[in-house]
Amino acid sequence: MLQNFGYLAPKSLAELYAVLKKNSGKAMILAGGTDVLVNLHNGCMAPTTLVDIKKIAELGGIKYDKKNGLSIGAVVTCVEVAENKDVIKHYPLIAKAVGEIGSPQLRNRATIAGNICTGSPCADSSCALIALGASLELSSADGVRTVFLKDFFIGPKRTQIKPEEVLTRILVPADMAGANFGMNKLKRIKGHDIALVSVAVAKTDKVMRVGIGSAAPTPIVTKDLAPNASLKDTLAAVAAVAKPIDDVRASKEYREFMINDYVEQIYSDLFNGKGR
Amino acid sequence: MKIKLTVNGKKYERDASESKNLLHFIREDLGLTGTKEGCGAGECGACTVIMNGKTVNSCLVLAVEADGATIQTVEGEAKNGKLSKLQTAFKANHAVQCGFCTAGMLMSSRALLNKNPKPTVDEIKHAIEGNFCRCTGYTQIIEAVQDASGQLKKKGGLKRA
Ligand SMILES: Cc1cc2nc3c(=O)[nH]c(=O)nc-3n(C[C@@H](O)[C@@H](O)[C@H](O)COP(=O)(O)OP(=O)(O)OC[C@H]3O[C@@H](n4cnc5c(N)ncnc54)[C@H](O)[C@@H]3O)c2cc1C
Ligand code: FES
Ligand code: FES
Repeated sequence: MLQNFGYLAPKSLAELYAVLKKNSGKAMILAGGTDVLVNLHNGCMAPTTLVDIKKIAELGGIKYDKKNGLSIGAVVTCVEVAENKDVIKHYPLIAKAVGEIGSPQLRNRATIAGNICTGSPCADSSCALIALGASLELSSADGVRTVFLKDFFIGPKRTQIKPEEVLTRILVPADMAGANFGMNKLKRIKGHDIALVSVAVAKTDKVMRVGIGSAAPTPIVTKDLAPNASLKDTLAAVAAVAKPIDDVRASKEYREFMINDYVEQIYSDLFNGKGR
Repeated sequence: MKIKLTVNGKKYERDASESKNLLHFIREDLGLTGTKEGCGAGECGACTVIMNGKTVNSCLVLAVEADGATIQTVEGEAKNGKLSKLQTAFKANHAVQCGFCTAGMLMSSRALLNKNPKPTVDEIKHAIEGNFCRCTGYTQIIEAVQDASGQLKKKGGLKRA
């Protein structure tokens, strides 16, 4: 038996906003539960109420159009994203990144929104979405604001989201549709494991960006690079933001080495036309 | 909270504690102890069940979240005391040693075969990626799934997984 808590499952956004306002600071949003239930199991979290958002129809669905780009609802699971035709066709980097998350059982439950809100520096979806210049729609009873994913994280497991807010949709810009890409994730084993480092590159004919996971207190991204930037400039832009540390899983030096190695590999694939 | 769910084709209506996970609910409240608890935290896959057609770690689902769901556990495999073809293949190919991972392995394999009746070795490996076995070395399990799908040419022919 887990510790005691209440369970609510609002059926509309309006109802959710009211619940979050009333229970501010004590309620915790429950999406796929793959982080929440682990934390409850370990006893490192003590919410008084879990607020299940999976019954809210407004939070579902993946939409794509040429003008507005991609919009992923908060309760969409990793598997639904990885199997979505528009994602596969226009944003294959996202399909690749979510396919890296955990095991099939986890991907059947875990949402991308939850992966982002957990705020872990090693979240696989963030590494890709940050390179694609994604932004997040944060909503509450007081209105909606949009923040860039790169500005959303403020520290390990800390984000800009306020207690009464919910991440409603993940937005990926239209001008990144069809971007060339490459992604590498370093793990200790071939099966499911979290990243020691991960690198995702997205490149269109206007811009190139490198997103990096487990290389700083939060997922990070380079400045916008020119699409024909040299490898040297690309590595310099990476070095300017990547500040890996020693921890139980890998040393700082190993991480630095592998980040550079992955950037070089992906760069060479992209520029010889093999990147996708 | 009152919940209604269908497990292995049988309808149940029960009062479930909000703070109980589906794994404990299935084992303690429904008395179906075939599903096992290893880590309790999403790592090992021993607790895998099929929920609305998809495998999940039942330790990471609250019982109350399963309200209205259709669930399949290992007890749903055998019919009238006769093992399923998949179970028979596990037995014939020595895919079971201590047996602790078996219920979960069967559920992941079952979900794969439902979607893909002739999976390749790679597809089998991907499907059981979230199920740990500390005994068999996996080779026999992969062969069992090949066998159940009528694809095993030679027993023991698979290189080490
Ligand atoms: C064994 C195991 C292996 C894993 N491997 C990986 C891996 O390889 N790569 C990886 O990136 N991750 C991995 N994870 C973590 C991954 O499963 C989670 O980060 C998952 O994506 C979280 O999504 P969820 O829907 O399950 O979130 P939940 O657990 O429901 O929620 C996570 C957090 O986000 C909050 N939240 C959720 N949705 C919203 C919302 N819409 N608005 C505001 N707040 C919200 C919750 O309150 C909670 O704090 C692993 C987890 C386990 C247990
Ligand atoms: S007991 Fe659920 S994954 Fe280990
Ligand atoms: S048979 Fe013992 S863990 Fe798989």
